[in-house]
Amino acid sequence: MAQLTSIDYLVILSYLAATMVIGLWVGSYVRSGSDFFLAGRSLPWWAIGMSLVATDIGGTDLMGVGGDAYRYGIVMGNFEWIGCIPAMLVGAFVFIPHLWRCRVTTIPEYLERRFSVQLRSSVAACWLFLMACNLGVMLLASAVFLKSLSGWDISVCILTTALLVGAYTWSGGLAAVVYTDVLQGVVMICGCLIFVAIGIYEVGGIEPLIDKIHTVAKAKDQQDAWQREQKMTPEERLAIKTKPRHDRPTHESEHLSLVLPVDTRSPGPWPGILFGLGLIVGPGYWIGNQCIVQRALGAKSEYEARASYVYGALIKNLIPFLVAVPGLIALVKFPELGHGRADVALPQLVGALLPVGFRGMFVAAFLAALMSSVDSYLNSATTLYVNDFYRRFYRPEADEGQMLAVGRWTTIGFVVWGIYFAFQLQAFPAGIYTIFQTLLSFFLGPTLAVLVAGMLSRSASSDGAVTGFYAGLLTSIGLFSLNQPGVCRWLDLKPLFQVGQPYLYYSIWSFLVAMTFIVIFSYFLRSDPPEKTRYAIGGLNPEGGAA
Amino acid sequence: MTLLHWIGNFLRHQLDLVPLSTARWLMIGLYLIVMFWIIQLPSTETNPPDRPGTWRGDLKIWAWFAIMFQIVIYSVF
Repeated sequence: MAQLTSIDYLVILSYLAATMVIGLWVGSYVRSGSDFFLAGRSLPWWAIGMSLVATDIGGTDLMGVGGDAYRYGIVMGNFEWIGCIPAMLVGAFVFIPHLWRCRVTTIPEYLERRFSVQLRSSVAACWLFLMACNLGVMLLASAVFLKSLSGWDISVCILTTALLVGAYTWSGGLAAVVYTDVLQGVVMICGCLIFVAIGIYEVGGIEPLIDKIHTVAKAKDQQDAWQREQKMTPEERLAIKTKPRHDRPTHESEHLSLVLPVDTRSPGPWPGILFGLGLIVGPGYWIGNQCIVQRALGAKSEYEARASYVYGALIKNLIPFLVAVPGLIALVKFPELGHGRADVALPQLVGALLPVGFRGMFVAAFLAALMSSVDSYLNSATTLYVNDFYRRFYRPEADEGQMLAVGRWTTIGFVVWGIYFAFQLQAFPAGIYTIFQTLLSFFLGPTLAVLVAGMLSRSASSDGAVTGFYAGLLTSIGLFSLNQPGVCRWLDLKPLFQVGQPYLYYSIWSFLVAMTFIVIFSYFLRSDPPEKTRYAIGGLNPEGGAA
Repeated sequence: MTLLHWIGNFLRHQLDLVPLSTARWLMIGLYLIVMFWIIQLPSTETNPPDRPGTWRGDLKIWAWFAIMFQIVIYSVF
């Protein structure tokens, strides 16, 4: 990318200064643990809605989705559309209001009220481990992208991001995170909109862009298919040629289709997208991820909690046009990069397209996406540790002042840990980011299973839920292991899955196994007492008392 | 070849037989189900308790818009 000028730096510094002012100003109103972890239950729907979207789009997503759109096309938009919107709407009217009504601070806390402390600790430990690791992974992966965008040193990027985010999260907790997310969301959306508009103008408009995408992508698809066929046996080649096409378009590439066949090389075959992303991963993420749900739990009222998710779903319609279309413009402008160098396509496009000042705006948009995710993970990891371990097992009598102090010290601890882990990860290969994304898919299926069973059924028992959660977790880990080349060679087996990144399928199977275990064990083992089952949906009135 | 491989191959083969147009309709069908479910929700669950009856505060309308955008997108792409 071309060098940043002093005007670009001015834009970036203005954004950073505004973020710090908002974060520290909000922090001056924080007086108690409840203020720190749930913003004193005072958040309005519009702030939560924008914060949900900003948190979901991380810096690595902004660049990674662009790179993947270059490789595979608009199919990556599924992750923001069918992977989010149905789940957000069902969450808005069924699950989120119930969690708000239960007056819990964390999802594991709800699981103890509905089931048992064993399940609470197990789920909290899994998510805390994932979030703590993800802090380092996000800091490093984003620093690598930031280096390619701005030319800054990786160590400087890691330290600056962690310390800035740490400062306002330490000061203001969830409220600071949410209100800075609003600014960050606006900067991110405006920065990307300007980038996309300039890009479409440069290629001559929308219709020429679509025509060029088909031409370039189809040539690339044919070249890839020819290279793959050279490595096949004659029988495999014959099987491919004679395979029925079942309504697949022959006149255009897959780059502009959201629905791709089972044997696509992209990470989005339609069964994985519909059954894995739409029905399991999406709901698991929007209902079971503390990082996401926590801000809705801090809403002013049950109605505001619902409205925030609906508002977020509306904004989500726009996001793939902002994060995936730049990758398609890069495909048209730089078709020579190929799959292997797709990740540098976006920084190259920023350098080629954006004039002075706008480059700074895009770097600010990237920083906004990065910071809005890191601050949320930082705050939610702190919330999980303080509420589900410190207060639950060590100091149940801790007052609000002590909770605030411990929350702030824990935030500092996670900032130090994130920086340390990010530096340690530099010694690992680049694929480490994908491994941690896969880890997320291990937990989503089982977490969704216990939440759905607990909320929708009074027959689900705590023994069944604990067994189901571990069975689902083991299923994910087992399937992941059976797909590793080393394990397959050792067992003399073929890999279990034929798509490149089968994490959507891990989620489907882990959810199904977890749910099966919950049903069977709940049927045969002792049932839970009424003080537990009243935490199923319909068991509480709007004030949180028994219905 | 293990039992898991056999199950995987069987499912892959069966799903491969589904035409892409049917798969597209399944995705749109998911949105239609959510849309009809939201439309029949009682208005007490979709309106603010302090000012019921205002169209701007009715979450059904905004949820309906979000889904309509999606149906258009999945019909076009």
